[in-house]
Amino acid sequence: MSEALAAALSAEHAAIYAYGPIGVRLKGAAAEQARSAEAAHRSRRDALVLLLTERGGPVPGAEPAYALPFPVTDEAGALRLAVEVEERTAGVWRAALPATEGADRTRALDGLTDAAVRATRWRKAAGISPTTVPFPGRPA
Amino acid sequence: MVLTCRVRIGNPKQTIGAPGRSRREVVRGVALVALVGATGPLTGCGLFGDEPDPPPPDPLAPLITGALDLAARYDAAITAFPELADRLRPVAEAHRAHAAELARVTGTALPSASAAATTPAADPGAGSASAALSQLREAEQQGREAAAKACTEAPASRSALVGSIAAARATHLEVLR
Repeated sequence: MSEALAAALSAEHAAIYAYGPIGVRLKGAAAEQARSAEAAHRSRRDALVLLLTERGGPVPGAEPAYALPFPVTDEAGALRLAVEVEERTAGVWRAALPATEGADRTRALDGLTDAAVRATRWRKAAGISPTTVPFPGRPA
Repeated sequence: MVLTCRVRIGNPKQTIGAPGRSRREVVRGVALVALVGATGPLTGCGLFGDEPDPPPPDPLAPLITGALDLAARYDAAITAFPELADRLRPVAEAHRAHAAELARVTGTALPSASAAATTPAADPGAGSASAALSQLREAEQQGREAAAKACTEAPASRSALVGSIAAARATHLEVLR
């Protein structure tokens, strides 16, 4: 159970990192959207660190740096990466569902749902249509 | 045998108080049908070896009908307001994909399209496009809550699928904003 949440924590660390290069390429409403998304990931990370520490299991820390799937050099690339980050995060939270139950299951569902909603908002911002996928977080 | 009885019950031409049949006769007939329905599976056991009685409805069954109902609501909104088609069609298709996947996982057959279309959905043609969107939002929100609840109650093997459906419904609310 805690392994799945530890994987989710690692994903949240990576998402927070990615919003650095994303944020600097965005302006106006999109930049604000990136700030709010990053804050949501930080808040989820903090909650997970607390929870996993209380349980006494492993609490993965952040890596010093993460390899981005592609270089982000402009606004379009930043929006594309934001979509990708949220899709990957949704996938990790979804994978935690079968490994959890009770309050942890709800936590995992919230993580999946929030990431899926943010992915939809980023697709909208990037002009990607449709803005939704039928099964958020499911491996392609 | 059971099927025959059910068809008789559902026969729209059969009305209570029909000429030549007293109310008591009709009641007795219904009671007999109920009795046959109860004993039917027991007597059928011998035909198929020691197969157990049919299981109770799957806990995910309401989610299947809910998905088809939502799809029908989007279809109706698209018919009434074609300008919404590009926005709403992917969502209607997602609901149908959910129903198909749930049917596969639960081993149930999907009701035919015509049966699904008779689902009593709100009439979106009555108002404006914005009123139709608002009705869809309400239905989608209820569907999202139902799926989220089903996800927390589902066995591990079904939790990811139902979780994805709950998350998808949350994203549909974004489309309706």
